[in-house]
Amino acid sequence: MDLQLALLFLQQGVASGLVVGSVYALLALAIVIIFKTSEVPNFAQGEMLMAAGYVALYLLVFRALPAWASISMTIVVAFAGAALFRRVVLTQVAHASGSPVNLVIATLGLSYVLKGLVRQTGFGDTPRSFPALVSTDSLMIGQASVTRLDLAILGTAIIVMAAFFWMFGYTKLGRAMRSVGMNPKAAQLVGVNLNRIHTIIWGLSGAISAIAALLISPKLLMTADMGSVVTLGFAAAIVGGFASLPGAVVGGFIIGIVEQLVGLFVSSRAITLAPFLAIMLVLILRPQGLFGGRVVIKKV
Amino acid sequence: MRKELLKVENVTVRFGGLVAVNDFSLNVAQGTIHALIGPNGAGKSTTFNCISRFYQPTSGRIVFDDTDITHAPASEMARYGIARSFQNLELFNELTVLENVMIGAHVHCGGSLPDRLQAKPPAVMRHIEEVIERTGLGPYREHKARNLDFGHQKLLELARALAIRPRLLLLDEPAAGLRNREIASLDRLLTDLVRTDGLTVLIVEHVMQLVMSISDRVTVLNFGTKIAEGTPQEVRNDPAVIEAYLGKEAAHA
Amino acid sequence: MRILGLLAAMAGLIVLPLISSGYVVYLANLLLTFTVLCLGMHIVIGEAGQFSLAQAAFYGIGIYTSGLANTAFGWPLPLSVLASGLVAALVGLCIGTLALRMRDIYLALATFAFGEAMQWVFLSWTPVTGGPNGLRIPPASLLGFEIVNDRQAYPVVLAITILMIWATVVIARSRLGRAFRAVRESEVAALAMGVSVQTTKLAAFALSAFFAGVAGAMFAIYSTYIHPDSLGFQTTILVLTMVVVGGLGSFSGAIGGAIVFGLISELLRQAPSYQEIIYGLILIVFMMFAPRGLFAFIGDNLKRFARA
Repeated sequence: MDLQLALLFLQQGVASGLVVGSVYALLALAIVIIFKTSEVPNFAQGEMLMAAGYVALYLLVFRALPAWASISMTIVVAFAGAALFRRVVLTQVAHASGSPVNLVIATLGLSYVLKGLVRQTGFGDTPRSFPALVSTDSLMIGQASVTRLDLAILGTAIIVMAAFFWMFGYTKLGRAMRSVGMNPKAAQLVGVNLNRIHTIIWGLSGAISAIAALLISPKLLMTADMGSVVTLGFAAAIVGGFASLPGAVVGGFIIGIVEQLVGLFVSSRAITLAPFLAIMLVLILRPQGLFGGRVVIKKV
Repeated sequence: MRKELLKVENVTVRFGGLVAVNDFSLNVAQGTIHALIGPNGAGKSTTFNCISRFYQPTSGRIVFDDTDITHAPASEMARYGIARSFQNLELFNELTVLENVMIGAHVHCGGSLPDRLQAKPPAVMRHIEEVIERTGLGPYREHKARNLDFGHQKLLELARALAIRPRLLLLDEPAAGLRNREIASLDRLLTDLVRTDGLTVLIVEHVMQLVMSISDRVTVLNFGTKIAEGTPQEVRNDPAVIEAYLGKEAAHA
Repeated sequence: MRILGLLAAMAGLIVLPLISSGYVVYLANLLLTFTVLCLGMHIVIGEAGQFSLAQAAFYGIGIYTSGLANTAFGWPLPLSVLASGLVAALVGLCIGTLALRMRDIYLALATFAFGEAMQWVFLSWTPVTGGPNGLRIPPASLLGFEIVNDRQAYPVVLAITILMIWATVVIARSRLGRAFRAVRESEVAALAMGVSVQTTKLAAFALSAFFAGVAGAMFAIYSTYIHPDSLGFQTTILVLTMVVVGGLGSFSGAIGGAIVFGLISELLRQAPSYQEIIYGLILIVFMMFAPRGLFAFIGDNLKRFARA
């Protein structure tokens, strides 16, 4: 491969990597806020995204509702669904047994239920395309070609992340969430309602997944299996140290760019391996993740 | 002169900017009960966790039986003959009393593959039964640890530590939450272990009744620094100790 | 009483192929294979409390190792079964060493990603796996006899299953088994008792991979065809569901779960579109109301009923 072509590939890879990476970053963010506050890796995150995508598709295409209505209804449904799962199911699971493994199994159960439900509705049996709400005309940035849709995706993802970080850093609710993440017992002592905060966090995580779904769906063929995109979100979270929110965002962009570069320089089939290789590399080179702090000593 | 079994030399522990233990030294003589006391947050548990190798001191040395163990991993302590109990109960909750104590004897179940595969290695079982009888847990042998009452859970912590056949026993508040009758029997048991079995005990404790009755020596920590050391009698009358516990006025009264 | 029940079960298992149709024998082979898979998962999740999600990948490694041992090397059956287990365990050891260096949940995530990656390998490594066309598995041979159908395979499969059940019992009662449970219940206390926590976790993980590898070899004895599609996350979830139905942490539950839920899943093949919902609901409902499994749940309720 000559240098000219390599440079072109590099630019294109970085550009498209930033676009898909922004969606992985959102997904990683959604995974990490749940993990940070309840130590549960949510294996249903991908299916929450998939289900939200189909809700949007149904409203937008089959009900022909206007875009603003479809989008806001989808987000509301995702928030409510995730919050409900936490409130009704996980509360009971925790009550029945203290083991965190059981909570993880319940999220695996949810992922299968959602997948099965979407297949049952009949929408999930054939691949469908999600209408692009922004034009897909391409324009050149440097030597990289991106579409207006790509720019809209990146822009929206960044706005959502900024809003989230503002909420998390500067509002009363965000403070409560941070305190639950750091020390649940102390948070409870100062009057934080743990159950309520956990429910809101799950809802928020569902809503962020829904936004990620709205952003990524136009770029994929929608199937009931599209939730497998979550592997990339997990990879992003691991790269970021799994308990760091800024880490999750940076991890998302890194994974996005690496994935696109692997696709261009190696082969498009090797893309499937990219998240696994990224996870393994991080585990080998820097097991605490790029943004993981020092190991916290358990008080005994 | 008794041999110093455990030597803590100038240990300092910092957590970030906070100095939890400051240039602390301690010698524990073989065959004695040595108590470590002090107000809450004085650094007792931190010191204790350094000796049992759960925390890493920022500087200083820990020497056990002339071997430097400052950098040895926590999982090696049982092999050295150092056993510990946990302040907030760290039992194997879903397992029976017998299994809990058997895991205490983990380091004695090694050897050849057939030995390792044995469900109840006879050589080890004798000692385990003895420990269970001695701690009075016999009737509860098949009960799950989770289902024991608090007093028996505390005893099980002790029994499990004894199954290690330790030379040094580190006890983190073994009497906390016990009733008077239970404290009295703990007192008898510990004294017996030291007098007849030659065990050495380092104990962190708030229950003064027990500390004053069983200890050969007492070390007092406050704000991470040693403020007094001596026999229970000496320490009890030390103005610095009274001040640390009761405030300034009491010391001068 | 217990011994009598065991003997009756043994007798039933031995005469089974004499009195039943080919399909029933096939099903019996399949259920025995799932039993070994479940035992593997029981060791890592139930005994050691570590969450591994790569059971299907190790199962696949076992199947292909066995296939390769048969065709390329012409190894005798016992050797190829052993090789399947060992290769799976070796791969497990590598993944586990990396994943267990940090937080516990990394094992779940790394094994999940590893499972996905292995399915990709199975689909792409055409010379060994046949790639997307799948692989015809040649008949295995034992002492010069070729095993060409389910009925002939059954005694071998049964013997391996019994051996693996025996091994599980021996391990559970051994020093290592006690260390597994100690790590599951409290890592700090295990450390203080001289248990090397990392090594113990790694041993549990590698052992579970070994069991899955052997299960793969068992599958290769009676099956003639394997496609990578059946070696995905779905299969891991199926095994997990079986262990959960039987009761996490219960040895007899793992076996019971494999058989009861194996039968249910075979029935569910009639209605594939409901499969996912049903597996998912079972996982959720059991975690909510019967975390100790079906048998413990029935037992508890019978007791309550008897008292009322």
